This record gives sequence, C-alpha cells and structure tokens, in this order.
Amino acid sequence: MSEEFPEGGGRERGSEPDGPHPSSRAGEPSASAGKPRPSSPHIWGTFLAAGSFLASICGALEFLFCYWRGGGTQALGGWLALFLAGMALGLVFSAHRLAEHHEVTEEREEMESPPEARAAAALEFNCGAATLERRGLLKGMSAIGLGMVAAIFVSLLRSLLPNPYQSLDEKVWKRGQRLMTADGEPVKADALPPGSTTTVFPEDRIGEEKAQTVLIRVQSQFLELPAERADWAPMGNLAFSRICTHAGCPVGMYEKTAHLLMCPCHQSTFDVLRAAEPTGGPAARSLPQLPLYVDADGMLRAGGGFTQPPGPGFWGMPS
Amino acid sequence: MPALAGVLTAVLACASCFCQQTTAAPQPEGERIFAQRCARCHGESGQGISAAITILGPSLEAEHNPGLVMAAEEIGPEHMPRFEYVLSVDQMRAVSGYVAQKLAVIPVGGGNVSDGGELYRSYCATCHRTAVRGGALGFVGTNAPALTSDSAALIAGTIRWGPGPMPSFPQAVLTDAQVDSIVKYIQVVQHPANPGGRAMDWIGPVIEGVAAWCAVLALILFCIWTEIGGRG
Amino acid sequence: MIASLARWFDSRTRAAAWVRKALNHVFPDHWSFMLGEIALYAFVILIFTGAFLAVFYEGSAAKVIYHGAYRPLDGVQMSAAFQSVMHLSFGVPAGLLFRQMHHWAADIFIGAIVAHLARIYFTAAYRKPRELNWLIGLTLLVLALANGFFGYSLGDDMLSGAGLRIGYAILLSVPVAGPWLAFLVFGGTVPNAGTLPRLYAWHIFLVPALLALLIGLHIAVIWRQFHTNYPGPGRSDKLIVGSRLWPTYTLKSIALFLAIFAVIAAMGAWLQIDPVWVYGPYKPVGILPGAQPDWYLGWVEGAMRLFPGVNLRLWGELIPEVFFPGFLFPILVFAALYSIPFLDKLLTGDVRAHNALRLPMDHPFSTSLGCAVFTFITVLAFAGADDVAAAVSGSSVIALRTVLRIVVFVAPALVGAAVFVLCLALGKPARGREAVSLAGESERDHAHS
Repeated sequence: MSEEFPEGGGRERGSEPDGPHPSSRAGEPSASAGKPRPSSPHIWGTFLAAGSFLASICGALEFLFCYWRGGGTQALGGWLALFLAGMALGLVFSAHRLAEHHEVTEEREEMESPPEARAAAALEFNCGAATLERRGLLKGMSAIGLGMVAAIFVSLLRSLLPNPYQSLDEKVWKRGQRLMTADGEPVKADALPPGSTTTVFPEDRIGEEKAQTVLIRVQSQFLELPAERADWAPMGNLAFSRICTHAGCPVGMYEKTAHLLMCPCHQSTFDVLRAAEPTGGPAARSLPQLPLYVDADGMLRAGGGFTQPPGPGFWGMPS
Repeated sequence: MPALAGVLTAVLACASCFCQQTTAAPQPEGERIFAQRCARCHGESGQGISAAITILGPSLEAEHNPGLVMAAEEIGPEHMPRFEYVLSVDQMRAVSGYVAQKLAVIPVGGGNVSDGGELYRSYCATCHRTAVRGGALGFVGTNAPALTSDSAALIAGTIRWGPGPMPSFPQAVLTDAQVDSIVKYIQVVQHPANPGGRAMDWIGPVIEGVAAWCAVLALILFCIWTEIGGRG
Repeated sequence: MIASLARWFDSRTRAAAWVRKALNHVFPDHWSFMLGEIALYAFVILIFTGAFLAVFYEGSAAKVIYHGAYRPLDGVQMSAAFQSVMHLSFGVPAGLLFRQMHHWAADIFIGAIVAHLARIYFTAAYRKPRELNWLIGLTLLVLALANGFFGYSLGDDMLSGAGLRIGYAILLSVPVAGPWLAFLVFGGTVPNAGTLPRLYAWHIFLVPALLALLIGLHIAVIWRQFHTNYPGPGRSDKLIVGSRLWPTYTLKSIALFLAIFAVIAAMGAWLQIDPVWVYGPYKPVGILPGAQPDWYLGWVEGAMRLFPGVNLRLWGELIPEVFFPGFLFPILVFAALYSIPFLDKLLTGDVRAHNALRLPMDHPFSTSLGCAVFTFITVLAFAGADDVAAAVSGSSVIALRTVLRIVVFVAPALVGAAVFVLCLALGKPARGREAVSLAGESERDHAHS
C-alpha cells in the first residue's frame, strides 16, 4: 500500500490500468471536498485488527467444540457471537487502516431519458402495437381469455372459504342441557359458594372455544338483572359467555368484591350483577347471558341459548 | 419484603428442627387461645378473612407444619403481631398444634406438575400472569400479586380462601389433588430454569421490543463508528 | 485464483465492463444511509436461521401428547406444531439458539426498517425520482409486519393464540365483507385446524418470496438512481460525492453484516425470548395477561385498548367497535404514509427531481408533523402495554388508561409545537448566508445543465 498521494484535487490514485476514471470532472472547485487523507502505518490499528481476528478464530473453534460436546444455548451463542464480532471488528479496523478513505465526486445522470430515446422507444412500441391492431378479432378473444383466467383464479378462492354465517350465528346452548365442568362433571346449584367462579360447557361441547361459559355465584340480593331475566339466576348462579365481545379473549378475571369480570387483553370490564354490562374499557356490548334453571336433581341446566352469538361482533349479527 | 421472606425462611429452617416436640399439646387450650387471639384475623376455622382491599389474615387451612406456625407466632411475619412476649411457649405450642391438626384440612405435598400447569393456565394465569409474576387488575387499589416467595401452605390456603378480589375455589371447582398440583407447579415456576438466557422478569413482548430497539441503536452506533473511524 | 475464476465467468457472460462499472459505483458516506442495510442483513439472517427452523417445525394442529425433555409439560395435550417447537428448543443442538436468533432478528429487522423509514421521511428522500422506492419500501414494511405476526403465531402457544384470536376479531369486524375475509385468512373460526398450515405456507414461502423480490427491486432502483447526498460543499442535485463500492464500501458493508449477526447471536444466547414452554400450548379456555403482540404491533394494540366502546350501526347492521382502532386506523395510517411523496408535492409545490436531501430543520412543518405522529404512535405503543406498566408500577390499569386517553392527544401536540419552534430557530431562515449559498449553488448547476 503506497502512502503517497497526489496533492489537491485528486479523485483517486491513477493506479487503475485503464487510466483515470472517465466520469469525474477535472479542476472542479467541488473536488476540494474530496481531498484524500494520507494513511500512515497505524500500529495500533493493525494490532486491534489482528487481535480481533484472533479472538474470532478462538470463538469459532470453541463454538465447534461446544456444539460437538453438546453445549447449552448460552455457550453456543456466546462463542458464535465472539466469532462474528471478532470478524466484524477486524474488518472495520482493517478498513480504517488499510483502505484509504478518499471521496470521489461524480456527475449524476438525469433519471429522465432524453426526448430522443423516449421517442424511439415509443415508436418501437407503436409499430408493434399497430400490427396487432389489424387483428381485431384475435385481440378481442385474447382479452376475453385473459379475463377468464383471472376469473378462474378468483373463484378458486372459494376453496379456501367456507360460509361463515353457518357457524357465526349459532347460540351454542340448547334448552335443557346440563352445565358441565371441564372434567365432565355436572354442577349443582349450591356447589359454588358466593364469590366463586368456574368454567362450564354444554354436555356435548366440553372444551370447545366457542362454548366456554363462565359460571359465577353471587348473593341474590345484589342482583340487578333486567326484568325479563329475573328468573335466569337461580340461587344467585349467573352464567355468561366467557368470550369477550370486543376481540374474543376469554374473560377470565373475576373480581369478586366489585362483581366485575375483566378481560385481560384490553381490560374491558363487565358488571356481573347487571347482566355483564360493559362498564369500562373498549367493549361495547354485554357478554351474552345464558338463562339457567335448577332441575329436579338440583343440577343447573340451560334455559335456552345465549342471548346473542358469543364472541366478537360481526356484520349481520342478529341483535 | 424479600428480605423479610429471606429471614423468615432462614428461621423456619431452624424452627422445623425442634418442631418434633410440639405434637402433644392440649387441644382445648390451643382452641381457646386461637378463638381469643387469632380468629379475629384468621377466621373462626382458620379460613382467612378479607375485605375489599385489605387482606386481614390468610387462610391457615394448609398449615400442616406446627413448627412453621410456631415460628410465625414468634416472629409475626408481614402484618401479623408478635406473640412471643404475649403468650408462653407452651401456649404457642398449643395453638400451633391445634392449627396443624384441626384446622389444616387442605393437603399439600402431592400433586403432579403437568396437571398443575394446565390448571394454573386455565384458572390462575389470567390474573397472576406467566410464571406467577403478578398481573394488573381493573380494581383500583390492588393488583394480582406475584407469588414468587409464597410458601406452599399459603398458596394452597389462598386458593381455597380467595382473599379480597380473588375468587375462591372450593372443592366443587378444584379438588384437593388439583390444588396440590397447582401448588407444585407454582413452586416450580417461582424459580424457573431459563434455558434461553435472562428472562427479563417474564414481561414478554414489551421488554423484548425494548431490547430489540437497544440492539438497533447499538448497531447504529456501530455504523457511526465505522464511518467516523475512517476519518481518523 | 480469483483472476482465473473471473476470467471463467467473463467468458460466459461478457460481464467485465459491467463489473468495472459496479466496482466503481459511488456510495455516499453517512451512517444514516446504512439503516436500510441493517434491515437487509437482518433479513438475510432471518432466511438463514429460518431455513434451519423449517427443518424441524411441523405446521400441523393435530393433537399429540407431549413426552419430551421438558418435564412440567409431560403428558399435556398440545398441537404437533407446539410439540415441534418444544423439540426444537429442548432436543435439537443449537435449536433454542437458532429459534431465539430468528425471533430477535425479526424484531431488529422491523426496527431497522422503521428507523430507515424515519430517516427517509425526515430528510425528504422520497421526493422525485424516489417516490417509486418509497412505495416499494412501505410495501416491504407491511409485508414484514405481516410475516412477523404469522411467524410468532406458528408456535401455537397461549400468547400467540390470543393474538390470532384478536386478529380474527379485527377481520371479522370489517363491515359487509368481514366474516368472509376472516374465514378466508383463518380458514374458519379461530381456533381451527386450517389456520396453522396456511400461516406456515405464507410465512416461509409466499411472504418471504415477495419480500425478496421487492428488496431486489428496492436495491436495483437505488443502484440505478444513485443514492442521495446530504446538502453540503460539493454536493448538490447534480453531483454525487462518496466512496467507491470496492474496496471501502464492501468492507464496511461486510463488517456491518457480521456485526448484526454478532448482536443477534449474542441476544439469542443470553436474552430469552418467547419462552413458549412457560406460556403453555394454546388452549381455548386459557389466556395470559400481559398478552401483547410483538412490539411492532403494539401501536394497534394500544389503539384497541384506548378506543371507547361505541355501538355504531350502518343501515341497521352492527359495526363492531374493534373495527375502528383495529382495522380502519392502521389502514388510514398506511394510506397516509403511501401518499406522503404526493402530499409533499402538493404542499410545497416542488415537483423537481432532487438528489440532495432536505435537512429536517429546513422544513419545520414536515418535521414537526413527523415528530408529532411518531409521538402519537409511541404513546399508543405504550398504551398497548398499560397492564404491564400498571403491574410493574403497582398502579391501577384503569386510571392509567384514562390518563393515556388524554396524553395520546396532548403529547403529540406539545412535541409537534416544540419541534416546530426548534426548526424555526435552527433551520434555513436562521442560517441566512449559508442557506443562500446552497440555494445559489444548486441553481447555478441547474442553469448549466
């Protein structure tokens, strides 16, 4: 690496075999910005570069050693990181020391083609297009063919798409179904003490996402259900869809002293005593309620389906 | 709090040595003193008492170890008063015997970690978050606490008791075996092994985003260095 | 040896002249021009680590019982996908390392894109002739966001399962076409067995192919147009100043790639990310608080938390409340981003081609608007983590939410105003003579051409 540089205005050293670079302009005052910096032997830089590469080699060897001996994530990744970092630093030190930083100045090309070139290209296109013009029928038919291909591709989307409303509209529970825990046990009306909660499902859909229902027991005197739902909570047992009406997360958080159900995803809160009315947060609709009654054996049963299809809202939702 | 827990643990380790002698205490004495001094905070049958925000006294229904109860009486952990100058040693032994033999009805020590994990994720994780690090509730004044330093007995009792805003989980919801399993799982995740490196308090994608941006900034600094160094 | 190899290729491609031109290609030197490169190299690392992961991952929702190395999940039912991730993390040598590297690389990839986007915006590099690359670049961002979302949902764990459910709810909420759109993307209601396989196909094939294609185009356009310069002595719309591709730029570029790789390797080694074994396999009845998406979707999450629960109806049909923050808001943001070059032309009346950048200080309106929007998005991202903030600080998440609903509008206004005043103080009008000479120089060049 030579340390000598032409003074003032040199874009680069004329070491290229083909002569000076054709596109740089000579004698421009702007070239003063591109004065090359002389690089003196930088011992410290060499030392650092060599040291980095050495560390990198050590890292690579240790990585291979660890890999074949079955090392953990920290060991493997650590040595890999050392290998890579050593290489990176070594290259930077080398670049700083070895490759002279000299700026070059070049003229920029306009991005718009000159008018002659544009005209020539347009002429080529028009000549070709003109030959097509004469075959009007063929042109029409190929257009229709292309249209058909597009239509076929679009209609193939149907394969990816079942009809959504079949599953979206259903209200899950049927009258008379027993409330079952996740373990498959029916729930008695007096099983839960007030302040307790559990998750229940219809008999035939235990564990299903859509069917999950939260059962809460509160003290009856605190209930403030609407008049038409007055008998939906036998012995203070309330059941609601456990799927938040906002974005579909399970509303798992029950705060028994405030009688609030809260969804952990976006902190929508529902007042259990008022038929899970939304009291704060981004949810706009109450959790669908499940009417309950107690059968002859003291078991809780559903008095019908949910008041609305469970889960987040959608266009065309029955109200 | 963590320091206190550490001290308590150390003392309990010592206390459990001499707990062997505390078995044959007279029951009526223990029952009487309990009703007089302990029931006010811990409930008539040790089930624990809670109000809307404050938690008066935890459930004792899983405290099978009389030595630990004895130590609690002597030291008065957290908000509990100290009884070592109020009651004699014999009286304290009577109370701890009563608690361990009569009030402790929730078994602790069995259970299956995998089942416990499944149950935790179904019932508990929604409030107490990943690896029991505690989560935010909507209720002003308290959040679901981290359970990282709670004893097995306290956890088991708390599950059944449901302090404050926490719902209670009676037999109908969680059987004894299920409670045992949850406790066992919680003990594992109190100090989980982190094979991937630092867990960053299990906060999740939020802290991961912060870390990623730190990395981007570090790389920008690297770019600055490669450019400036060349000018040197 | 290199010489003989080069001769071999040239005999078959006649590439010598092009190679010479390429080696001499001038790249301006500035660290802020390397942000896109950080993204590019992060993408390369994603492909590399992703290829490794794809060997072991199984994109199937079939139910299996786990009996692997991680004891706390022994006997637990899970999907085959989750099991394959567990096997990768606990059974494959360097498996967890590569998995973590891949996830960190994805976070850094998108972070670098956003930093690069900010640099382009604030220096007005999107002006003619670079509107084309702006459009391509924004599309790259959209694709990257989508692929990130698909990627971390592949693990089928409790955390990402929540995200899928929310994504489904957002699509479902679109008026008229919502249910069809949701079923098209997710293959039915979530969860269902059809979701994972299609996410997998999109994540490892369709989107990366589009990304690679567009990145290639993006770089080709930069190559063709030559990179911009900051304004300064010797630099104008007519001249490019920088260093040649070979050897300086090449060395620095390779060094940057290795540094990025090193950082990702270090993070993959020592910082745990996405510990799915603690989150547990996705179960419909399970949910975690602290359920945030990865950081780059935090702004949408925050919008969803702060937006009030309004019941709106159109022609009697329900428009679910989650439509506005979850679907409409991001669409509007990206529509605004896409239109920036054209809005800039409209507002400044400047339709000339530019190769010199515009210093942020010289255009107070654009800069302050950008800072205000950036603040808005950042506050939203913070709002997306409000339950974490509440849990960590011991405060009430509901109180925090109320405060944030105010801050999200006040903070950007304040920041915008402050930046505007700052720009007026530091920008072109304040620089006086220097500014005139800059303008004079470029006008001179223009007159000469």
